[in-house]
Amino acid sequence: MKRHSVLSALLLVPVFLMLAVAVAPAAETIKIGVLYPLTGGAAAEGRELRAGAELALEIVNNVMQLDMDIAKRGGITSLNGAKIELIMKDHEGNPTLGADLAKKLIMDDKVIGILGCYHSAVTKTVSAVCEQYGIPMINDSSTSPALTQREFKWFWRTTPHDVTFTKDLFELLKGLSEGKVRGVPAVPKDQISKLASACEKTEFGSQVSETIEMFSKEYGFNVQKSILYAPKSADLSSEARSLQAAKADSLLFASYTSDAILMVKTLKSQKVGAKIIWGQDAGFEAPEFRATLGDDVVGILTRTVFAPRVADVKKVANQVNAIYKQKIGHDLSGASARAFTGVQTWAEVLQKAGSTKPEDIQKAANSISIPAEQLIVPWKGIKFATSGKDLGQNELGSGIIGQYQKDKSGNIVLEIVYPFELATADMIYPLKGF
Amino acid sequence: MEILAGSLASGLLIGLVFALIALGLTIIFGMMDIVNFAHGEFLMIGMYTTLFSSRALGIDPLLTIPLAGAVGVLLGLACYAGFVRFLLRGPMVAQLLGTFGLMLLLRNIALLVFGSEDRTISSGLLVGSVFDLGMGIVFPATKLAAAILSVVAFSAVWLLMHRTRTGKAMLATALNAQGARYMGIPTDRMNALAWAIGGATVTIAGSLLVNFWSVTPYVGLLFTMIAFATVALGGFGSLPGAFVAGLMIGMITEIPGFWDFFTLLTGSSWMGGISMTPFKYTWVYLAYFIIMLVRPRGLFGWKH
Repeated sequence: MKRHSVLSALLLVPVFLMLAVAVAPAAETIKIGVLYPLTGGAAAEGRELRAGAELALEIVNNVMQLDMDIAKRGGITSLNGAKIELIMKDHEGNPTLGADLAKKLIMDDKVIGILGCYHSAVTKTVSAVCEQYGIPMINDSSTSPALTQREFKWFWRTTPHDVTFTKDLFELLKGLSEGKVRGVPAVPKDQISKLASACEKTEFGSQVSETIEMFSKEYGFNVQKSILYAPKSADLSSEARSLQAAKADSLLFASYTSDAILMVKTLKSQKVGAKIIWGQDAGFEAPEFRATLGDDVVGILTRTVFAPRVADVKKVANQVNAIYKQKIGHDLSGASARAFTGVQTWAEVLQKAGSTKPEDIQKAANSISIPAEQLIVPWKGIKFATSGKDLGQNELGSGIIGQYQKDKSGNIVLEIVYPFELATADMIYPLKGF
Repeated sequence: MEILAGSLASGLLIGLVFALIALGLTIIFGMMDIVNFAHGEFLMIGMYTTLFSSRALGIDPLLTIPLAGAVGVLLGLACYAGFVRFLLRGPMVAQLLGTFGLMLLLRNIALLVFGSEDRTISSGLLVGSVFDLGMGIVFPATKLAAAILSVVAFSAVWLLMHRTRTGKAMLATALNAQGARYMGIPTDRMNALAWAIGGATVTIAGSLLVNFWSVTPYVGLLFTMIAFATVALGGFGSLPGAFVAGLMIGMITEIPGFWDFFTLLTGSSWMGGISMTPFKYTWVYLAYFIIMLVRPRGLFGWKH
């Protein structure tokens, strides 16, 4: 009997120990709501975004051998080492659903902030909900310029927007006429002055179209034709013919994946060519775009914020890319790199705030400054505008323009052609095969 | 001039493709007054059938057309025997909502099985080949094949309906199912046959389309909306109606091209200032709307 009670006492010890661990004041978790398009037309980008955000979360919550501050803390040290928890929801690219989910995250899940949403149209409605409830929102991946022109107090955007990206394109065209582009002798400006654009008729596309018109005036280019087409089209042949009729030197596009693929196929089948084809990221940068079209993408330009080639010039990008590639099987993309940076920014803001009160987070976000060497994206850092007409916009962001090229082993890679000082290959000019 | 010729040719081609997609819809409606909302999902299944079977077997996508057709027949029969047959006993609303539910079911199964990313075929006889006839007339091989198939399929179905005993039995069932039953026509079998033919034509269409278009579980909606407009414009249940309406809709979607042509022809600056492209599909639905007001049974409507 006595032996039995000793045994049972011994058996009880681990149970008590386990209970003690459970009862001990564990570091609090900080809930952040994340809204991405995990199904629907942009699901491929959604998966990239999720993978990028999850990798950043892992790095924030654990101590890892990386040359960035978030990897050294193992949580938010200013909040007793609290861990971050991401509550991820799928908005399917639907603005109304996005707003409903944001309300649920705020009311039911009690998140202290929101991250997302990729589609500018969804970010627009979600940020309006956050503004209404006084909940901070960091936008990592939407590029409509209008989003930061609403004087919102609870909205910050890390990614550069389409004005910056479109300006990059015109800088590239200007550089082309001045002989600054690697591997291309100066092209007389009158040979590249005619432009035509086809953008999808959404928040994203319409803004890009307007910005192209704006900069073409500023830089002395001539937009022959600007088309806004119905997104998710069954047929784009009349659009392609319209572009052909414009006889433009450069064709500029803003489309999501399925339209981008259909557009390039239609251009190719109708033999609509140009010296330059440029896509405003989104569909033109999606992994499916490259996988589906194969060799047909060679020579096409796309703006992006990340190309695996960045890893060659940035040490920390190289380290993170290596982990990402090991986990996911392919390199970081513009979407995953920006989602990563979004979570990283949230961690840095919380670290600085040392509190989860909205007012403290707001103060921290407005005064934060993340230096360039902490980031995997090729920006000058992260610092949000607190005055002026671009309120909450990261002032230190910049874009890159990549060109699909074949490497020595026949694989298609995105080489950097702009900024000129980061160029990793000679630009293919003029575009062939169209 | 090149723009005009190109637009006309392109309108003709895409019109025939739209007609081919609408064919199955109009057959099924003509037989039993059921609007099959899941029609676009049949198309999607045809596309996936060709995509995966050509990859798995390592053969040209064109060779998988019979398989896609067989899948369509089985799908049509299964839907009829396992589902629609019971719906026919219910009120009209049940039939409408029933096929709508079928659409959601098939789409979500596809989402579950295939995932939501865009997939296309990147090699094959039709992929990327183009016939350039000059004058701006360019025929992508996929669209041309679908257009030819469209003409063949319409002729075959028309001959079946009007020149064979089975076709006559189907027509009788369509006109008066009860009367046909009294005459000894197995109407149930005729209905099943309509679903089989309807299913096969649309999955074969899908099998061809996947050579050009990318497929996702949502692809059905793009084409279903246009197929509905085609069938309504031509007259529900009418074969020639669907054919003519398909061509009309093809031409209507080329309005931006014609607009460009007249802009260049007249050199007018106000026309150049207006872009017709954002309204491309507006004209399609406007035509549909006007027909509904003026002639609710459609151009060639023959029932009721």
